[in-house]
This record gives sequence, structure tokens and C-alpha cells, in this order.
Amino acid sequence: MKQRTSIIGGFAAIAATFVVFVIPFLFIILMAFKDRQQSALRDFSWPNGFHLFDNIFEVVKTRNWMMITAFINSTLITVVSVTLLIVFAAMVGFVLARRKTRFNGLIEFLILAGLMIPPAVVPTIWLLQGLKLFGTLHGMILIEVAYNLPFSIILYRAFIATIPRELDEAAVIDGARPLDVFFRIVLPLLWPVTVTNIVVQSVGIFNDFTNPLYYLPGNGNATVQLTLYNFQSQFSTAYNLLFTNILLITIPPLIVFLFFNRQIVAGMTAGAVKG
Amino acid sequence: MAGLELKSLHKSYGDVPVIKGVDLTVEHGEFVVFVGPSGCGKSTLLRMIAGLEDITGGELWIGDKLCNAVEPRDRGIAMVFQNYALYPHMTVYDNIGFGLKLARTPKDIRDSKIREAARILQMEHLLERKPGQLSGGQRQRVAIGRAIVRKPEVFLFDEPLSNLDAALRVDTRMEISKLHQDLGATMIYVTHDQIEAMTLADKIVVLNGGVVQQVGAPIELYQRPANLFVAGFIGSPKMNFMAVTVDNVAANAVTVSGKDLSPVSIPADVTGLTLGDTVTLGIRPHALTIPTTGSVVGRINLVERLGNETIVNLGLTSGISWLAVLDGDHNLATGQTLQLAFDPTSAVIFDGEGRARHPA
Amino acid sequence: MTAAAAPALKAQRRSLYPSWFYAPAAVIYAVLFLAPTFASLYFSLTRWSLSSAVFIGFENFAQFFREPFLIQGLVNTVVYAAISSGLKVVLGMLLALMLTSQIMGRGYLRSVIFFPVLVSTVGVGMTFTVLMHPTNGMINEALSLIGIKGPGWLVDPKLALFSVALVDVWKGVGLATVIYIAGLVAIPKDYYEAARIDGATPLQNFFYVTLPLSRPATATVITLSFIGGLRTFDLIWAMTKGGPGFASDTVASVIYKQYQAGFYGLSTAGNVVLFILIAVLVVPLTMFLNRKQGFE
Repeated sequence: MKQRTSIIGGFAAIAATFVVFVIPFLFIILMAFKDRQQSALRDFSWPNGFHLFDNIFEVVKTRNWMMITAFINSTLITVVSVTLLIVFAAMVGFVLARRKTRFNGLIEFLILAGLMIPPAVVPTIWLLQGLKLFGTLHGMILIEVAYNLPFSIILYRAFIATIPRELDEAAVIDGARPLDVFFRIVLPLLWPVTVTNIVVQSVGIFNDFTNPLYYLPGNGNATVQLTLYNFQSQFSTAYNLLFTNILLITIPPLIVFLFFNRQIVAGMTAGAVKG
Repeated sequence: MAGLELKSLHKSYGDVPVIKGVDLTVEHGEFVVFVGPSGCGKSTLLRMIAGLEDITGGELWIGDKLCNAVEPRDRGIAMVFQNYALYPHMTVYDNIGFGLKLARTPKDIRDSKIREAARILQMEHLLERKPGQLSGGQRQRVAIGRAIVRKPEVFLFDEPLSNLDAALRVDTRMEISKLHQDLGATMIYVTHDQIEAMTLADKIVVLNGGVVQQVGAPIELYQRPANLFVAGFIGSPKMNFMAVTVDNVAANAVTVSGKDLSPVSIPADVTGLTLGDTVTLGIRPHALTIPTTGSVVGRINLVERLGNETIVNLGLTSGISWLAVLDGDHNLATGQTLQLAFDPTSAVIFDGEGRARHPA
Repeated sequence: MTAAAAPALKAQRRSLYPSWFYAPAAVIYAVLFLAPTFASLYFSLTRWSLSSAVFIGFENFAQFFREPFLIQGLVNTVVYAAISSGLKVVLGMLLALMLTSQIMGRGYLRSVIFFPVLVSTVGVGMTFTVLMHPTNGMINEALSLIGIKGPGWLVDPKLALFSVALVDVWKGVGLATVIYIAGLVAIPKDYYEAARIDGATPLQNFFYVTLPLSRPATATVITLSFIGGLRTFDLIWAMTKGGPGFASDTVASVIYKQYQAGFYGLSTAGNVVLFILIAVLVVPLTMFLNRKQGFE
């Protein structure tokens, strides 16, 4: 009896989620396979012929191969800012979890503030201009680091609290200096949460649209999200190309999802619940 | 050659003092056990010696070096932690060799030292494993191995057996004892378990509230406890106490009596005791016997018959209860009235300040 | 001996947890986040061209509460946040209950529901803009097949904001679900067994055991999605650009529009308004959600 309801319920749930969650993605894929005329119908139909590679080529070479530049820029921003985030956030999380001083309350407050307060956009632009960082990849990387530090710190701090302090002390007795303790004992033990951090932050930064829109104007510095946004008007009559573009920028998160599903879910829930 | 000298050591966290002036001398090669209830400061004192806690006041000498501001690695100590504190991401081999690696010991010397330590502890077959693949007892050995490979002058143990099950605890206790004999190093050992303290120590230091209560050989602490705290802490089951009044003072004995006690003369140091003083009488449960008449009377609350001995919980008329451990089996019933007697020389008188008045 | 000892006693040993570990993060955070935040308090009181700022008091804020379309943006922001976070709580809880039961195909369901969380918001927005087209969109075509005339999702001023919020829920409910799943599996089985011995029905189980004991998860979901909703920009910008008219403008899109138009002081005032809005709504909300309960 119980068995049967669970099977019926299962089929109903699978069917419902298929309609709601899978069909939009199938729609993207189908559109990316179509030619311009068929895609203009914007319906859920089988493609007349295989046009995916033509579409990809078309999208990639638009505006002087801007897509290539954009992928390089996005990758660069993502890799460098995530690397900096990992090291800096782990250092903060380590000291914050281990040493209780009267400043801890203030630091925790600043972390929470960073999660809640929307960045003041125009003053930031003004400041970046003053620092000669406005519209540069360096500036964009530092912005991503600044905005995403609080979340990474929270992830790390929660995890460091589970590493026994005795390990630090054993290392000290063994003759370790603070940097030895951090790099040889603590950081290797943080590997699981580092993976989580890498995955979650990479996806977030790669998908970031708002911050590059403000801080990274100009075609030379376009990111993939900006490129998609800019192509929207250009492709307004070529839905096959628009959806090919969407498909292309969905592939990186899909790959990450296939390989790191568990870490992403663990990281997002842990960070959220602890925060 | 390293003994230790603690001179008026103090430690406080903010305004809260936790170690209130400890003076102690530890000879080279001695096995010293710090014992006391949880929160008494025994672990803090050990960690001050290790250099894991700053010293607020006083002096710590290890060998002939003042160590207050010396980094742990330069103190010539090694420590075994309660939860082993093995590095989970390193093999046993690397765990043992980590300190040598940090000290930049050449690889071949490091290797021979690690294998030597493994041989002493009979765990050569475990060297390639990670701590996660070891049993509790094996982890404890690795922790000890990590300590001995550094050839320290002083070994520090922080409740090293508290995570092992009872059988393993006895084995490991004996091994530590043997290690002490083989290495001849100074060892300081913290525990809350008085059996460990009694069996391992050359010298026991009883701590309470950050103050040393008594220092002495194990049997001395049992037979001649310095005060009410030590008397109550050392020995199991706990010593029985009773408030009594001084009826008569002789040259080397006092006669005392109380609500639950008919007058009895007990040998004691009588200096300063006068008629009518309230003092405390202490008798160990094993010192009580059941003759036909006795000086203590009560009703039996509970009887535990273990065959070789019988443990009786006796409710006295004043409301307190005493334990008696009687040799052999006795068929006693709950609710029954029972008289207990004791040899006056086995009783201890404690004065108003709680100091023991052992006869000279 | 004591003379030699004195300086040694004073010397502090180095901390195992040095303060300079904070330094790199602190510098970046202070310069690029805290400094602009504080600067915004001043620049919101000016007429500002980036090169020069003229102090005009609270004129920008007065304008914010005078112009109907700006007030509309403020109201829209709260409505959007309330709708999207409310739906995420309810749907997230239901989906999590389903996924923690003995239902078939749990792995598939969990993946499918969660995947949109990882996809580009702009891409999702554009896809749904096409799907929600009033005549050519797939949603309305599907509805017409079963005889329903679908509404003008994004072109009807009364509906546009609500439609964007629905897409937000579509994209974000996966995160709410996994947070709830984490909360539900953390509830000890003993409670359900005790409730069963007490004769609780499944519905009573839910209201007297599951719901109260998953409150930390509820608090997280509400706080996260409510803050996210108040700050939302990319989805609205990708789908409606605040339109039709100002029907789906939010404070965040107003900030961007004023920035584009060169009203930097007004744009910054919008930032301060959003900051205050979040502080005023979220702080009491989290305090209410995380209040201590007798059993905790």
C-alpha cells in the first residue's frame, strides 16, 4: 500500500518537475539547434536539421570574436578572485575561530553587514576611478573578493571550529611557527570546505552580471554575462543565436554541477545555516 | 638532566585567578602526577609548563633555564594530548617525524629516529597508515611515539588514558610505567583518576581551586592526608566524615563524641584543641567492622553484596549517611539497625580549619 | 638571577594566531566595501557629478519620496521580496518534505530542482522572457491548448512584477529546498517515534514536530531570500528593465537608471534608501525568527 502511493507520488512528482524545471532547458537546447526561421516561431518543436555548430560559430565570431575575449576575461576573473578568496578567507576564519578577543564581536558584525548591505555603487565607482582601477580586470577581481569574503569566511570559520585546537598545540610542541601551523596543519585539513568554497564562489562569480555591468564597462573587458546581455539587442531577431549563447554560458555551471553536486549543496546549506 | 622548579606560579584569565601560587620541585627522572577534580587547574598548570599558556606570575625553571618566555619548542619538552592530537592528513611515519622535519633534521637521521621510536613501541607495521585507520590504543602509541622521537628532557601527559576503554587503560598504564623505567626521563602526568595516580606516581600533587593541597608519595597521601580535601579525594570509596565535639584532651589523644557517636579516644596532635571544640572525625569505609557492639549506630539504607566484600550504606540518626566496606559476605537487610566499630588509630581528626591532626 | 629574569618575564611570546592574518582581507574589504558605504552617506546628500559635489541636504531623499515612480519602486521592492521569499518558504518546505520521504526518483528530483540555482540569472531571465511572451510564448500556447487564455505575463503592468517574482522562485526554490532538507534530516527520529506512541496523525506530526523543529531552516530561508529579494536587480533588468512603464521597477533598478542618467547623488540616495530598507525590515525579522524558545 505504502509502496504503491510512493510510486504513484514519484511518477506525479517526476512529471511535474519535468514540465516545470526540465522543459525550459530542453527549450534552450532545441532553440540552439534550429535555424533562424524556425527559431522565430519560438515554439517547442523538433529542429529542422542540425544547425548547432553553425549557430555556435555565428555567436562566437559576432563583434570580432567578442565571445572568446569574454570567456577569457570571465575565466581570469573567476580563477584569480577565487584563489585570493580562499587564502584570505581561510586566514581570517582561522584566527577568528581560534582567538577570542573583544574585537571578535565587531568582526562578526562586519561579516554580517557584508552579507546584508547592498554595495554603494556610485561611490565605489568614484573610488575605483581614484585608484585607477575602474574598468580594469584587477579592479573587478578585487571587487569580487571584497563582496564575497563574508560568505567564504563564514564557511571556513564554521569548519575550523570543528578542527581540534589540540592539533595546533601539538604542532607548536613539535616546533611549528604560526605559518607552519596554518599552511602545514590547518589549510590541508580545510580541503573539503576549500572545494566547497571554490565551487560555490566560482559559479557565483562566473554568473555575476550586476557588478561587471557597473564596474567593468567597455567591450574590451566584457564578461560572458555582459556579452549575453549586449547581444540581446543584436540577436533580437535571431533567437537561435540568443539561445545558443545562453546554452554556451550554461555549460560551465553544468559541468561543475555534474562533478561537484554534493559539495555545492553541502556548502550552500552549511554557509546559509551557519550564517 | 632536567628537573623542574616552579616558584610561586600564578595564572589568571583577566581578573579570574586559576593558579594561585604553586611551588613545586620535580627531581630529574621523577614521575609526578597532578591530580584533582575537574577545574582544579591541573591541566592549566601542565599547559603552563608546556608553554601553551602564558605565565601570569612566578618563575618556571626547566633544568637550569628560566622558561617563562621560552617558546615551547625550546623547552626540551614533549606532550601527549588527551585526544591524541594526531595530524589526520599525515601517515603515522609523518606524524612522528613532523617535529624533526620542522627542526630541519637531515632525512636519513630522521628516518632512523622514526624507526627507532616505532621499534620501541612495537608499531613498525603501522607506519604507512593514517590515524583514521588506527584503533584508540594504536593512536595513543603513535602520540607517545611522536613524543619520544624528540628525545625530550621532560614528558608531559594530559589525561592520556581517558579516551580508552577500561581494559586498554590498564595495559597502556603499565606501558607508560615501563617507558618511564626504560627512558629514565622526567614525566609529569595529569589525571582525575586516582587509581592512575596511585599506581604510576613517584610523587602525587593534589590540586584544588588552583592551590596545591598536598605533595607526597601515593601511600603517604592515603595514610596521612594533610586535610579534609585530600582525605576525601584520595581513596575509594570516599572517607566518611562526621562533626564531633571534643570531650577531653589528653597528652597525645582527644576524646570526642557526637550525636551518632559514643565517646571514643583517638590519637591526635592536640596542639590548640580545647574542650567543646567542634572537629571533624574521618574514617575510611574499609576501617569499619561489625562487632556485637560498636560506637556508631544507624539504619541500613542499602546493601551491595559482592561476595568478597559487602558494601553497606548506613543512615545515621543525625541524617548523614556513611559507607562501610566489610570483608566477606554478610547477610544484612535494608532497614535493619547496625552497629559499627573502628580501630581508633585508623581514625583521623581534622580541626576547625580542616587540617588533619595526625599524632606525632 | 632575579635581575636577569625580569626582562624575560615581561617578554610576551608570539601569538599562535597572529593578527596580521586579518590584514589582506581587511584592507580589501575596508577599501572597496566599507569606505564606499560610508562615503555614500555623504554623497547621498549632494548633487554629484563625480568630479564635484554640491551639498543639498536631504533634497535627494525628498525627491525619492515625492516622485510617484520612485515610491512605486520602493513598494515594488517590498512586494517582490515578500512574494518571492514567501513562495520559496512554502514550496521549499513542501519539496523538502517530498524529497525526505520514501518517494521514487529522489536523486533526479533533487538535481532537477537544484540545478537552476547554478544557472546564469541573465540567461534564465531571457529564456523566460521568450517563454512568457503573450502570444508567441510557449506558456500561453500550452495554456491555450487546454482552453485557457493566458495573461500578458510581462506586458500587463499589474502582472509584470509578479511574473518576475515567479521566475525568481523558479530559479531559487532549489536552494530553499536543500536548506530545508538539511534542517529536516537533522530532526532526531525519536520525536516522531514519541509522537507516534502518543497517537499523532501525520498532519499533527507536521504541525507539532516538523514545523517547530525546522524553524532554524525557515529562518535561514526567509532571511536569505528576503534580503536577496530586496536587493534583486539582474533578473528584473534582464526581463523587463523595470517596465512596462515603471510597473516592475525596484530600488535596485532605480539606482541603476539614475546612475545611467548621470544623477549620481540621487542614485546614491537610492542606495542609502535600500540600505535603510534592509536594516529596518531584516533586523527585526531575523530577531523575531531567531528568538530563543523554551526548548532550545
